[in-house]
Amino acid sequence: MPEAAAWADLAARTRRRRLLVDATLWTFLLLGSLPILVPYLWLLTVALSGRTGASTTVLWGTLAVLFPALLAWSLIRLALPEGRGQRRTEWALAAIALFGLAIVTGPHLHLDNWRFLWNPLIADSLKGASGVGTKFPSVWSAFFNSLLIASAQMVMVVTVATLAGYYLSRFAFGGREAYLQGLLVLHAFPAMTLVIPIFLLVYWAGLLDTRLSVILVIVALELPFAIFVMKGFFDAVPWEIEMSAMADGCSRRRAFLLVVLPQVKVGVLAVAVFAFLRGWEEYVFTRTLLIEKANWTMSLYLFWMREDVMGTDYAMVSAIGVFYVIPSIVLYTATQKYLTQMTIGGIKG
Amino acid sequence: MATVELDKVEKRFGEVVALEPVDLAIRSGEFLAILGPSGCGKSTTLFLLAGIYAPSAGEIRFDGVRINEIEAKDRNVGIVFQSYALYPHMTVAQNIGFPLRLKRVPIDESKRRVEAIARLVRVEELLDRKPAQLSGGQQQRVALARALVKEPQLLLLDEPLSNLDAGLRLAMRGEIRRLQRELGVTTVLVTHDQIEAVTMADRIVCMSKGRIEQIGTADDLYARPASLFVASFLGSPPINLVEGTAEDGAVRLGERSFAANGSGPLPQRVVVGIRPEAIRLGEGPIRGRILDGEPHGREWIWLVESEVGALRVVEPGAAPRHRAGEQVVLGWSESLLFDAADERRLQMPGPVPS
Repeated sequence: MPEAAAWADLAARTRRRRLLVDATLWTFLLLGSLPILVPYLWLLTVALSGRTGASTTVLWGTLAVLFPALLAWSLIRLALPEGRGQRRTEWALAAIALFGLAIVTGPHLHLDNWRFLWNPLIADSLKGASGVGTKFPSVWSAFFNSLLIASAQMVMVVTVATLAGYYLSRFAFGGREAYLQGLLVLHAFPAMTLVIPIFLLVYWAGLLDTRLSVILVIVALELPFAIFVMKGFFDAVPWEIEMSAMADGCSRRRAFLLVVLPQVKVGVLAVAVFAFLRGWEEYVFTRTLLIEKANWTMSLYLFWMREDVMGTDYAMVSAIGVFYVIPSIVLYTATQKYLTQMTIGGIKG
Repeated sequence: MATVELDKVEKRFGEVVALEPVDLAIRSGEFLAILGPSGCGKSTTLFLLAGIYAPSAGEIRFDGVRINEIEAKDRNVGIVFQSYALYPHMTVAQNIGFPLRLKRVPIDESKRRVEAIARLVRVEELLDRKPAQLSGGQQQRVALARALVKEPQLLLLDEPLSNLDAGLRLAMRGEIRRLQRELGVTTVLVTHDQIEAVTMADRIVCMSKGRIEQIGTADDLYARPASLFVASFLGSPPINLVEGTAEDGAVRLGERSFAANGSGPLPQRVVVGIRPEAIRLGEGPIRGRILDGEPHGREWIWLVESEVGALRVVEPGAAPRHRAGEQVVLGWSESLLFDAADERRLQMPGPVPS
């Protein structure tokens, strides 16, 4: 047995080593996340403060406050023991940082760049009526179109994927294995290679320049993976539950609705969220299939706002970008608690 | 309560025969156990009764009425699975009340019946919990209550005790038996555990490879097994099976010859079954040597190398009376005689050393 002094020495050495490991880890994570976070911060500051032609002074000011605050926060985490004291210091730091931000950026903040929200003729006044051609649509028309395409597409994907996933999980039929492999191959196929054939197909079907065409195309591309995910969720539901339900007096359909479906609601939610976001962010096929301005989605609105030979108002483009991304962030924040429970093909115990 | 008849009922999955044509009659209020190893067709039989599988041939009758075409939901059958299969998103009360909800029983009557059955299986304190918050034994009771609440004409139990630990299993065996007697419901228990079948059931159906080997009481199956399979499946430790030959009215086992006990012709090759508890060490003409011994609490099990072959012997008493390597003599008072070719038991007593 070593002496008490030797034990104390050992403990001190362990503490030092842990501190070193933690410090390395924090530094690494901090530096690694900066290149990802700074562009978003830039977008936000420019959207809230930039003048026509955009300036970067506010961004540097913001960084000058936030970076030291971040460093101080890491030090607090490393140096102070966890508990009430640590939390209180953190709050104090947050207050100081906010105060600093208010001083540095406060005088520069304005909502001018957001006037596209309440001025439907903003584009005409910026670019002149001859800018991109005739009258620009209002941002709300584009917002509504995006919402419509994303929602309609989500409803179709969720409905078909749920039913198909259940059938693939529970029933034996000829060619089942080939079908499953086909799903995966379809998913591996890059959608870009299909742009021209799809354009021709849609043209022949007489659906060119309709929102329905975009909805159908995205549904077709999204379905294989969605079906696969749903099948995985249904595989995880034990057979006995269904058999019990049938012995209890359910038809197969009622057993599915009352007993099986509630077990996979996390899967349904995940498929729904991803399908919605896919439709919301779609650019390639909206650009290819939608021509009339009344059919523009948010992605096209953003694209055409930026596209100008006379010089672009990047401050407003940033504001539109922030406006475009808000629904995605809200959706993620609201559902991430459930999404993190999802692993591909199942629910974590 | 219903009588249940299976009339030449058969089940095939494509080419695979899961159940060969089976005849079985269950009396009203009877507790019947179907006993057999996994893959013997016992669960298939259960699912046929529940209406989850449709028979490939034959007729199933409840109270004399053909129900082949009746769907599971209309058969009024209660079923309890090994995994309990409670609905995880419903509370205990909702789980138990689910069959009543499907039958559109009025809410206050449903509530009353759920509470009554919950008291009967002793889960009335747990009605507001979710299944995940219950222990295995409690989940088991809830599953029982759910199966019983609609007053089924037939109760099906699919290995209901296999997921419980030993102490709980003992308690639940008695509990299920008590409930079954109290309610008088015709019950079919499927199990691979002979103790469950023997302790709970009025009659046992022993199955193997999709066929019924024997139907009878526990005593029938133990003392008068119809085949080698039944003899070796029941009894713990398992019966000693010694292969031998028969010639001129005598049975030859290993180095010794025994006079046949009965009259009638003997097949050339026979198997003699000797229960480990029928063998006495220290008395008898057969010589042997102790190879090994295992303590089992109140008894010892000895492995003996004897003149007729290796034998397992049960000897009562907590203290060992032998040690490995010791020379012993032994004998037995009764044995079973089987035809080695078709594995059926011969209708005569087996050879006994004199």
